[in-house]
Amino acid sequence: MTEANDSAIIEVRDLVKVYGDDTRAVDGISFAVKPGELFGFLGPNGAGKTTTIRILATLLRQTEGQAWVAGFDVATQPGEVRRSLGLAQQTPALDAFSTGRETLELAGILHRMPHPEVRRRADELLELMGLTSVGDKLTGSYSGGMKRRIDLASALMHRPPVLILDEPTEGLDPQSRTALWEELERISQAGTTMLLTTHYMEEADRLCTRLAIIDNGQIVVDGAPDELKRSVGADTVVLQLTSGNADLDSMRTKVRQLLEGMVPPDAVSPHPEGVSLSVPNASATVPALLRRLDGDGVLIAGLQMSQPSLDSVFLKYTGRHIREEAADQPISLGWQ
Amino acid sequence: MTAIAFETYYLGLRTTRRFLRVPANIVSIIFFPLIQLFVFSQLYEDIVQLPGFGSQTSYLAYLAPGQVAFTAFMAVAWSGFGLLVEYRSGYTDKLRVSPIHRWSILASEMVPLFFQAAVMAGIILIISLLLGASIVTGVGGFLLIITLAGLFGLALAGASFIPALITKSEQATSTFSLLLFPLMFASTAFVPEELMPDWMQVVNTWNPITYVIEAIRSLMVTGYDWNAIGAAVLSIVILGIILQAGTLWAFNRVSR
Repeated sequence: MTEANDSAIIEVRDLVKVYGDDTRAVDGISFAVKPGELFGFLGPNGAGKTTTIRILATLLRQTEGQAWVAGFDVATQPGEVRRSLGLAQQTPALDAFSTGRETLELAGILHRMPHPEVRRRADELLELMGLTSVGDKLTGSYSGGMKRRIDLASALMHRPPVLILDEPTEGLDPQSRTALWEELERISQAGTTMLLTTHYMEEADRLCTRLAIIDNGQIVVDGAPDELKRSVGADTVVLQLTSGNADLDSMRTKVRQLLEGMVPPDAVSPHPEGVSLSVPNASATVPALLRRLDGDGVLIAGLQMSQPSLDSVFLKYTGRHIREEAADQPISLGWQ
Repeated sequence: MTAIAFETYYLGLRTTRRFLRVPANIVSIIFFPLIQLFVFSQLYEDIVQLPGFGSQTSYLAYLAPGQVAFTAFMAVAWSGFGLLVEYRSGYTDKLRVSPIHRWSILASEMVPLFFQAAVMAGIILIISLLLGASIVTGVGGFLLIITLAGLFGLALAGASFIPALITKSEQATSTFSLLLFPLMFASTAFVPEELMPDWMQVVNTWNPITYVIEAIRSLMVTGYDWNAIGAAVLSIVILGIILQAGTLWAFNRVSR
């Protein structure tokens, strides 16, 4: 039996899952997550994200391949794996007839935390998640956002080193989504390693320190979000020029002259508000460009920068847009 | 083993809360037996004059044991639903990701059913006492009756869990529960065996429910009839072994 790589807290090697009807939900996936990372699985529904998660959480047996969480093999050491991780599922899994506090306390008790600590930790988490006022109400009466928060809190009761989240903001309104992102960032900063799956680019972009793009059960590319976007193409910088006394065209010519040597000639193109520059890694190069322009009296009224999106990354590596696939895939729940 | 007991205890508290927090649960269990007890005892009160009834003078007293058993039946006949709802919502998965034995999940559904069946049966028993029935064996007999009811419920529960775990369909599970109903009627709940048509007497002889009813009847009307009580315990054990073994097999198959 091969051993896990020491520096990874989650490791997956050549994982395959074939379902009874011969669908290869996971078709040879390998990746590693280092301690403290916020690792993302980005891909359309049906790509194999949930299946991979379920295998890591010991809810499903893999057909081939190996996986380790916190150094424990998911197939042979499921008990230790479960003690080391917390899982927040795609649809919050709650007992509608338990209160929020009871939900948290049960999780703590099942993890064999001592009773006084269970009570304290439950209070702490209710406070952290802003649920203290509804802690003694039945979770069946909670809103969607509240259900997710209590579900997340129950996964954190035993302070697991690893937190796995399946589509954490699926179906949430924008405010709840932002609030949850902030919470997840806090959890990550506190040192918990996190693995999340999502089909929302903005989520992957904002939260993840590293990302694997998954499609049809395979990882097509992985890396840091910025790295991936840079690999697709250059950033776009739009300089809004005030005409002052001169007209826009002569301003444009001036910009072109000034930037000669700093950027290739075809990187500068006219834009209704001024010029549009196509530069790799804009955030690093723009300061130098601005210094050159500033010195010679070009008045810049404003600046807009945009990077290629993760959708462009997905498009480059799979030939499709993420959004097209987002609907129409049934969620698989329960025992299989 | 102690780990399973620990987990079953705390998970059992949860399933008990789930039951108690919906008042309709309690009402739906005792309502039908209560109606039968109350209405039939008055509607058919003269039936005790038929020869087959021997020295019975009160139809209410005759009905009571059957309704106690019926209550235990009602307490468990749809018990597989709770697990099904939680499997669907993903809650069972959440439990399985906790470091617990998977058998604790099943045990936490089953063990509270013993108590629910016993307590509900006790309620119907008390009501029948208020309506005029009596227990000649006193408090000891009362406790033995509700214990038998509880064990009977526990044994029968598998009949709901097995279809639930195999089909994972609410419709199939409730249809199956409905099929059990005739068993309650082809027993000595309503009439003595002598008054049944021949074919029903055959069913009656093989019906575990009848033995439970006869044990309860003896404890209420005649005294500690250890033959009857022994027969009841034996039928409960046989029923229990068959249905709980089936439940364990079905649960094992479906939970990895």
